[in-house]
This record gives sequence, C-alpha cells and structure tokens, in this order.
Amino acid sequence: MKYGVTVGDRAFEVEVVGERLMLDGRQLEALIDAIPGTPLRRLVMNGRARTLALVREPGGWMVQCGGERWLVRVVDERTRQLEALTSQRAGGSQGSLVRAPMPGLVLRLEVEVGQPVDVGTGLVVLEAMKMENEIRATGPGIVTAVRVVAGQAVEKGVVLVEIGAHLDSQAGSD
Amino acid sequence: MTVRRVLVANRGEIALRVIRACHEEGLEAVAVHSDIDHASPHVRAADVAVELGGPDASESYLNVERLLAAARQTGADAIHPGYGFLAERADFADAVADAGLVFVGPPPAAIRAMGEKTAARRAMAAAGVPIVPGTDRPAGGPDEAAAQAQDVGLPVLLKAAAGGGGKGMRVARTLEEVRRGFEQARSEAAKAFGDGAVYLERFIERPRHVEIQILADAARTIHLGERECSVQRRHQKLIEETPSPAVDRELRRRMGATAVRAAESVGYLSAGTVEFLLAPSGEFYFLEMNTRLQVEHPITELVYGVDLVREQLRIAAGQRMTCPDRPLTPRGHAIECRITAEDPFGGFLPVTGHISYLQAPTGPGVRWDAGVESGSEVSRFYDSLLGKLIVWGEHRERAIRRMGRALDELMVVGMPTSQAFHRRVMNDPSFASGRYDIEFVERIGQQVLRAPPDERLLEAAVIAAVLAEDERRGGVVPLVERSDGPGDGPWLLAGRRESLR
Repeated sequence: MKYGVTVGDRAFEVEVVGERLMLDGRQLEALIDAIPGTPLRRLVMNGRARTLALVREPGGWMVQCGGERWLVRVVDERTRQLEALTSQRAGGSQGSLVRAPMPGLVLRLEVEVGQPVDVGTGLVVLEAMKMENEIRATGPGIVTAVRVVAGQAVEKGVVLVEIGAHLDSQAGSD
Repeated sequence: MTVRRVLVANRGEIALRVIRACHEEGLEAVAVHSDIDHASPHVRAADVAVELGGPDASESYLNVERLLAAARQTGADAIHPGYGFLAERADFADAVADAGLVFVGPPPAAIRAMGEKTAARRAMAAAGVPIVPGTDRPAGGPDEAAAQAQDVGLPVLLKAAAGGGGKGMRVARTLEEVRRGFEQARSEAAKAFGDGAVYLERFIERPRHVEIQILADAARTIHLGERECSVQRRHQKLIEETPSPAVDRELRRRMGATAVRAAESVGYLSAGTVEFLLAPSGEFYFLEMNTRLQVEHPITELVYGVDLVREQLRIAAGQRMTCPDRPLTPRGHAIECRITAEDPFGGFLPVTGHISYLQAPTGPGVRWDAGVESGSEVSRFYDSLLGKLIVWGEHRERAIRRMGRALDELMVVGMPTSQAFHRRVMNDPSFASGRYDIEFVERIGQQVLRAPPDERLLEAAVIAAVLAEDERRGGVVPLVERSDGPGDGPWLLAGRRESLR
C-alpha cells in the first residue's frame, strides 16, 4: 500500500508492502508496539528506539515526542491522486480571514472597516489566560469586515476580522 | 496560637503543594474550588473541599466573602493564600485577621508597604536600598505617563503598581508607545489585581533578573540565596535556576544582606522574595518585593534543603523557622522549567484543551509539581501554568542533562505545551554557557524555536503515523519482537495482530 504523507510543508511517500517499508524509495526497518491503556507506541526504526504518542484527529495523526508535535496526514495513493486533480487554486485574491487562535474575550477592536493594515498592525485584543493578546495582521491589505464587538466571547476559529486586497463594496460590516 | 486546619485559598499546583505541606505538618487542609475545578487533584488531596461558585475567579478564588464563609463552614483556623489571586492583597489579609483566622503570610502592613510598587520604591530609597530610576507615583493618564517618561528618560518600562507576574507590563521606546502601552497596561492591571495604577521605570538594557529568597520569623530574618530568572517571555518566567551563573559568593552576600535590610525595614514575616535587576556592570537595583511564596520556590528548596511552605506554616503558628543559625550555602544546582498551556511554535499564544494522557517524569533528582493529570481540562479562566518540572544535580552541567532526560520522559498528550521550547533550550549552547540575560527568549529563544526538528525524529513520526494508519485500515502491523537486536524482529502476521485488538 502506497501512502502520501504530509507534515507541515514537507511531503513523503511511504510504501508498506507486506513486510517491507520504503520511505521515499529508501528501504528501512521499522517495528511498532502499542502500550495498552495509553496513546504511546514504541517505534524501533533502523535500530533506534523511540516512544511516541499518537492520537487520531480529523486532520490526520497527531504524533508527539519529547514535546515536539506534528500533525501527520496520511492518505492512500488513490485519494492523493484525486486530490491533486481537484485541488483549488491558492486563495489570496479573495482576501483572508483572521480567526481567533484560542477562545477568549474580545477586549478592544483596534481597526475599522476601510482601514489599511500592514504586517504587525494590531487588529483585535483578546483576553485569555488573564493576559491581553494582540492579534496582528500578517500581511498588507484593507479591513473589509469586522465581525466581532468588544465584550464578545469567542471560540477558537471564530472569524474576527476580514482583510482584503481592496475594499469590496459588498463586504461591509454588519 | 494553634493552627489545626488550613484553608488553601488557591487552585492548581500551588494548592496541592500547600495541602501536602499541611499534611506533613500534621495539619488538616481545606480545599476550595470553582465548579469547573471540582475534579482537580488539589480537591482530592484535601480533607474537606468547598465549592465556591462559577468558573470566573471573581465568583470563586477572588471572592473574599465566599472564602471566609468556607473557612467558617469548615472550622478552618488559618488561610494560606498561595501565590497570585489574593496573596498580595493587604485587605484580604486584614479580612482574614478580622475573622479571627491566622493568615499564612506577612503582616498586612508589610504587604501594603511593598504592594504598591511606587510606595515600595520610596521606602527602599529611604532604607538605603538601591532602586531603578523611575516615577514614585502612578501616572494619571497617557499624557502624564508620556511626560513622566521624558523625565525618567527613554526607554521606559510601564509596570502595574499593584502586582507582578508580567501583567500590566510594557516596554516603551517612544512617547507614542508610552501613550498606547499605558492603556493596555492599565486594563491588564485592573483585570489581574483589581487596581489599574501604572508607574514607570527606566528600562535597563540586557540586565539579568535575579531574586533573593527571604525567610523571617519573630526572632530573625535570613536569606536563602538567589534565583536566576532571566529566561522570561513578556515578563513571564519560563526557566529559573539556582545558583545564578552570574552570582559569586561575595555578590550573594551583598545582595542577600540588601534583601534582608529591605525585608526588615517593613517588619516582614514569613517567606518573601526581593527581586533585583542585575546590570552587566555588576550593579544591582531593587525592583520589587513579592510578599508571598513564589512559583519558583522549589529550586531554592532543593539547593538549601528547606521546605518553605512548612516554614510558612510554622511561622504563622508563632513558631521559629527550622533553618540553622549559621549562614547557609547552596549545595548542587537546581533548574525549573514551567510547563505551560502555550504553543511555543505559535507565538506562545495560550491554548485550552483536554489532557487525554499525562506521564510525569520521575527518578533521581526529578520533581514534578503540577495541578493537572490525565483527564484534566485546561480552560481559559485561569493562568496557563500546568506544572513545574524541577531537577537537582550535583552541578549545573549535570542538572541541565537531567532536565533534558526528564523532558524526554514527560508526555502531555492532547494540547501543545511549552515543553518543546524547554527541551530545545536544554540542548542550546547559549543556555549551557550560562551567559544570558532577560533578552534570551527574544534573541536565542526565537532562533531555537525556528530551527527545524531533527530529521530522524521527523521520519520516525512519519513512519509511526503510516504504521498506525495502515493498522487502522486493517493492514499487517510489524510488531516489535521482545528483543530488538539488529537483524531480529521477524514481521508478525494478521493472527498476532488480531489477538492484540
């Protein structure tokens, strides 16, 4: 079985054929043992043993070792080919959505619709963990929508602000 | 006075710490908790537990009325405030005394004297303790702050007058930054301490943050050496160690004597910490005094062979400290890494989540002081500290290696934590050299985090995920034979796999 693996911006091809394992065309030896009652697995790869934690998540497997964590997406060959055929063009011309990186309370809005922003411009101040966290723009643009108000509690992932390349007359604030 | 039952007015790791000390002293402990903390380890560790109210601190851990009611209800005769929350609120200490209970901490007058940071600076200047140039009264507004900044000299540090821990703290290098930072600092300070007063200090470039542990009973005041706390991010400490690589015996003697003088000048009792800025020149300046037990107290305990909470309980009960009369010298080296619910690769933004599995390291010289365990929920209502990993070693190099070993063993599954940052720092030559200052995280720390992970480790993660996915789909899983020598490990077939499921 051939798998396409992505971790962040890295991609690998792993083939599991019966007893053999090939990583990007290189043959290697790997054995794995699950520790019952835990998410831990002991992996012995090329003679070196490591304990990793593996948890299945919607986006793939969350693999962890010594505090380092990776979301590893493993798809079989067929799925990978299908995805390659139907992959979307890179977004950007549609503008970007700035989402809350964690749940919190909107303390202050620092921008308004129509305001130009650049890398590092403060957009929204969120309170979480008793600290104020300033959410900043990661690129240049113009604020096309402000989707929250001060005093509002937000969940992780909620859209706070929309930033476009230009002000679209259809995307105003509510 | 006799103390038999102590109410611990706190949560998480410090509540558990205090409860353990109470039991070791033969005292009973009362835990208090918010509704969402009902399953916390500190609640189970206590003899009696009282639910205070909703998750917000104002409904629970900061609610003086409910805390005193809980003390009455459970027959507690003393209250230990831990750190943070009400620990440095003189009015709380007063309320405890008025309720006829023993407050495990300093007298309210000492808390007051050191609690308002500008008054503390004035008092220290009067006592001949060196201070950082700055304002001696809080700024009324952003314009006044800007005017003060011009007097003190840029760059300045905006600081909360009512508390520490980095809350309400901002560096400002221009007057515009002073004005903008003033509002943020005021808001944060009001939220954290119930008091939005902000003052200014000259910002000293590349100092080290070195603090001295103080212990005082009715007969004497002593110091228990220094703690090096320069590995901080946004003024929140991440790694602490003792002894400080920058402090020799003579400097320790002088800083210690100064800290003792500072504590005595306010009639201090119990445990406290005097924080200093140590300039590259070797000069040191009083920053503030924390009139409570500090988060990082365990490293002092390991190196001086003392139990600070035990001493606090004894002193509160009118007894003398157990520390010997002769001056104490540190033995060995201790390091603490704060394991926090923050993503070091995501700008240390705080995270919330569920800890599905936690394995704490143990073994010689390893101490884990935590308020979380397998199954714990980490919410947005409290600070991000999950636990403290502390090690002791015969000397600094061994302690660093031991911390690396302990960090390899620690498993917190379910959310990102600061663990990877600490592991990388323990491998970093800058940290190993001991030559660092409070800009370490900004300069070296960020570099350390940007470095790509070990390639072999990444490949291991990839292979492990593939094998796990393959197994999930019903493939053959190559299982580890009970000995992994080279050329060993025949692959086992479906039958074996089936029997394991």
